[in-house]
Amino acid sequence: MNNKKQTIKKGVTEALPLAIAIAAYGLSYGVLTTQTSLSLASALAMSLFVFSGSVQMVAVAMLAAGATATSVLIATALLNLRNLLYGAALAEGLSPAPRKWRGLLSFGVSDEAFVLGSARFQKHGPDPLYFGIVATTFYLAWITSSYIGAVIGSQVDPLKWGLDLAFPVTFTAILIPSLRGKPVIATALVAVTITVILQYVTPGNEFTIILAGGLSPLIGLYVSRRTRDNE
Amino acid sequence: MNNWMLIALLTISTYLSRVIGVEIMAGREMNATLRLYFNYVPIAIIAALIANQMLVPTDGGIALSLPVLIGCLATAITLKVIHTFLPSLIIGIAAGLLARYFL
Repeated sequence: MNNKKQTIKKGVTEALPLAIAIAAYGLSYGVLTTQTSLSLASALAMSLFVFSGSVQMVAVAMLAAGATATSVLIATALLNLRNLLYGAALAEGLSPAPRKWRGLLSFGVSDEAFVLGSARFQKHGPDPLYFGIVATTFYLAWITSSYIGAVIGSQVDPLKWGLDLAFPVTFTAILIPSLRGKPVIATALVAVTITVILQYVTPGNEFTIILAGGLSPLIGLYVSRRTRDNE
Repeated sequence: MNNWMLIALLTISTYLSRVIGVEIMAGREMNATLRLYFNYVPIAIIAALIANQMLVPTDGGIALSLPVLIGCLATAITLKVIHTFLPSLIIGIAAGLLARYFL
């Protein structure tokens, strides 16, 4: 029992700093939804049921730009591919949990939960309770901040307060810390180039983001291989 | 497709990607190249979205939005200096707003 209490305490303590960062993203997501056709209820429902910062951010950005639901689904499916990696890496650490609980714990697989979960499993072995506490802390931070952001965003004039600028600015703040190493930088530059070319040739093409998102990583792979060969 | 249907489909596709990883991919060795490709996809999509939002439609073409460009540059520089998410966003939006009113 004592051990369980310690795990819960450890999980909450270690998750809190990241939960604050997640809340900042959630606040931005909530504000951004007010720039789309999403109602307060649907914006909150997306946080409750999807619970994925990257998927939700990309979905609202694409909806705001007039993309169709089909292209939103394709782009977010591409984003979700990395969950396969996270899930596979976390599976052993979650294996002591009964199957139905593993199904629930799977809902908590995300970038941040993966980082904390995999570090814990490496040090202490499988620990589904710890992962559950971490995921729940992140979940509560995400839905609360999404709701607050959506309420704040719906009560101010978007142009006067520059909320239309919130999309590109938020994505810049998400992208910048990830730009480390030549392959990643090459991927981002090629994605920008493909987008600019496609927008000039066929303005408003709804497949621009999907093409850039699917093709640019191939250049990243090429640069990664060349960098490795040269070392 | 209405927004509720889209949310339902996003819920299903996101949950499937998570549960398949935990229940089916476990213990299988994934190709290193595929793994790297998956890691680069979010970078590519986010970069493409930023570029897309810098280009605004005009009569028969597109133009670069200076407020968006300046807002993004201000955010990037601030984030590099102070390493804090929310203040960087606020400074970026403020810079973009100033550019909108004074340029």
